[in-house]
Amino acid sequence: MKIVLLSLMNAFAGWAIYVLITRGHWIAVIVLILATLLLDVIYLLPRHWTMPLKFLVPGTVFLIGFQVIPILYTIQVAFTNYSTGHVVTKSDAITQIKVTSLQPPANGRSYTMAAARDSSGNLVLILQDDTSHKNFVGTQKGLKPLPAGSVKTGALGVTSATGYTIVTGSALFALDKTLQSYIVPVGNGAGIRPQTISSAVELEPTLRYDAKNDTFVRISDGAVFHDNGKGAFAHGTDELEPGWKTGIGTKNFSRIANDPLVRQPFLRVLVWTIVFAASTVLISFAVGLFLAIALDKKGMRGQRVYRSLIVIPWAIPGFLSLLVWQGLLNDQFGVVNRIFHMSIPWLFDANWAKVSCILVSAWLTVPYFFLVSMGALQSIPEELTEAGRVDGGGPFQLFRRVTLPLLLIAVAPLLIASFAFNFNNFNNIYLLTRGGPPQANSSVAGSTDILISYTYKIAIATGKGNDFGLACAVSIIIFIIVAVISGVSFSRTRVLEDIA
Amino acid sequence: MSVIETAAAAKPAVRETPARKRPKLGDTWWRHLVGIVAGLIALFPIWFVVSAAFNADQSVSGTSYLPTHFTLNNFTQILHNTVVDQSSKSHVDSSFLRWWLNSILVSAAAALFTVILAALAAYAFSRFRFKGRRFGMLALLLIQMFPQLLLVVAIYLIVLNTGAIFGFLGLNSFTALVIVYLGGALGVNTWLMKGFFDTIPHELDESARVDGATASQIFWGVVMPLAAPIIAVVGLISFVSTMNEFVIASVILQTQHHFTLPVGMNGFIDQQYGQRWGPFAAGALIAMIPVAALFMGLQKFIVGGLTQGAVKG
Repeated sequence: MKIVLLSLMNAFAGWAIYVLITRGHWIAVIVLILATLLLDVIYLLPRHWTMPLKFLVPGTVFLIGFQVIPILYTIQVAFTNYSTGHVVTKSDAITQIKVTSLQPPANGRSYTMAAARDSSGNLVLILQDDTSHKNFVGTQKGLKPLPAGSVKTGALGVTSATGYTIVTGSALFALDKTLQSYIVPVGNGAGIRPQTISSAVELEPTLRYDAKNDTFVRISDGAVFHDNGKGAFAHGTDELEPGWKTGIGTKNFSRIANDPLVRQPFLRVLVWTIVFAASTVLISFAVGLFLAIALDKKGMRGQRVYRSLIVIPWAIPGFLSLLVWQGLLNDQFGVVNRIFHMSIPWLFDANWAKVSCILVSAWLTVPYFFLVSMGALQSIPEELTEAGRVDGGGPFQLFRRVTLPLLLIAVAPLLIASFAFNFNNFNNIYLLTRGGPPQANSSVAGSTDILISYTYKIAIATGKGNDFGLACAVSIIIFIIVAVISGVSFSRTRVLEDIA
Repeated sequence: MSVIETAAAAKPAVRETPARKRPKLGDTWWRHLVGIVAGLIALFPIWFVVSAAFNADQSVSGTSYLPTHFTLNNFTQILHNTVVDQSSKSHVDSSFLRWWLNSILVSAAAALFTVILAALAAYAFSRFRFKGRRFGMLALLLIQMFPQLLLVVAIYLIVLNTGAIFGFLGLNSFTALVIVYLGGALGVNTWLMKGFFDTIPHELDESARVDGATASQIFWGVVMPLAAPIIAVVGLISFVSTMNEFVIASVILQTQHHFTLPVGMNGFIDQQYGQRWGPFAAGALIAMIPVAALFMGLQKFIVGGLTQGAVKG
């Protein structure tokens, strides 16, 4: 069994290594070879010290691949300008700038064109000037005139040319790639380039790349575009598109701290995230505890029925409940407004949407705290409350002085864990309001966006471009906040002492 | 505190204590009132989903306490992919059954492998004494604080780039999705299972070893069968949370055919509550019943597991 699995894995790794070699990903090849050898050693050596590793390795491989590496990658991207317009490498960017800088010159000509073969089979372009109707044959060496009348044209362009065979049909489509890079030079760096399969225009570069100084020079006025160190060639504030991906140090973080366009939405979202998580947890705990106290009465009839009903929201897949609530809270035809004869814009007003988010999240979370409180209440020894009663304490006093403190000891870590969870509760926001309604200042962040949904929008889901660098920087800030909260929670509980 | 202890602590809650004397209704009426109101609020949305699912009017605005015109049409439409948009009268392409199957497939695979990976690691932490053991447990806890949700940008870029080389691991691949989910398999689950394994007497391992069993035979043959309760808890929690996962699935799965239920249903109902509410409610009902039944059935175990720190979303 072990041997079968191992050889399967080795065969797979071998194939993967072969594919990677053909693509020239040498670092990946080395990593994969080392990893495979390490695994073989661990599982084949009958040494005592490999024993724990045999059990730890399978999970650790996935942990490293899809938790540790993404964490490192997130950190790395956070210090780059990786975003729309800064995706490619610098050399690709230079190539693209050269292509996009091509423009028709002032007296530029356009041609009706056909791809053709000359008598020895070489690819040429048959060209007829659209204004003067003069005929030419273009090769990659240059342009030669053809006698008038030697080229015939029809509705679909050039139909025949004396001495040349016009390429048609599937042979023409096969030439698509070749034609795209086919240039007929006409001097001064300008060239005639095919635009479609039947037309061509004369284009000349407006920018010249100076490889020695690593600059672009605008030919018209001699303006020099330098590498500005932020992933673009720039002349003053004028940047050439596209830029490239490059390290920009802590600029993403300083943008969050200083740039008002980023700082304002970020701070607003941060405050709302804390308000949302804290109120969801506190309301849910308060209601859950109240329900638990109300139903925690020995011998009460129907206790089990009530309990089952209250737990229902917890048992249903959350994404469905959220989408259902989105429908029920719709202000025009939603059930809630109709049944209670209200016309509250539950999801379309910034403040009401926040209320809705908290209420619906509480609806989803109350059952959890109900069950937890129920268990905790019953683990409190009856002697304690009995003693309090004997000493003359009223029910409210008993609850405040005896029950609640004992309960909090048991529940506090769960409250903190739940806060950390709701802090990143993407579903509860996104599937209810999508983070909306939108803010008036048209920022990416909507009124109910929490940090994690804000990050998601910055990175992926907006029409305003993808800013992976900034998104990763925000992710790291979220991590620090959550880590601090969790750290405090763990240091105050005894979890860590259990390791021994 | 181990799961067993927690479960034991929670147990009296489940067992009905033999009534000494039933309290008079006069003393408990307010408790009943609270119970009834809470029950009604809990049931509120579900009631209207049921009502809408059997109602002939497909709009949210047509939903009321009871279906005005009883019909099974909504179920037929969503199951047979013949949903008709009420305003444009055109066919809406949805693949509810496929999304459901995708979800179950992905969640089941993720749950199965999560249990295996977490159990293997937990067994090592529970039974072996090795250098770096304490560090390993702590590292798991720390790494797990960075939820995969936060890594969604990095994961998206990694899957995108991997897919360019190995097509079957790129976007739209269930294998890629499950593998990504497995990155979060250890962590809390390992802690939960380690706590349980610690309560299984070492003497059982020892006697098996004396009888000549290998380490893997002991693990699969002795320990795992005894760990059935914690396997059920970890498996179910993992299944349900994968079932609910939206963000990572939505960036990795990009075509309708490959969607999981959350991604598919979200796209299906998005801003269409006036036109598609009926079929949506029917689909939601079909999807929620098995999970809810499973949850209610295993409630007892799960409460014990969850109080250990995992939180269901």
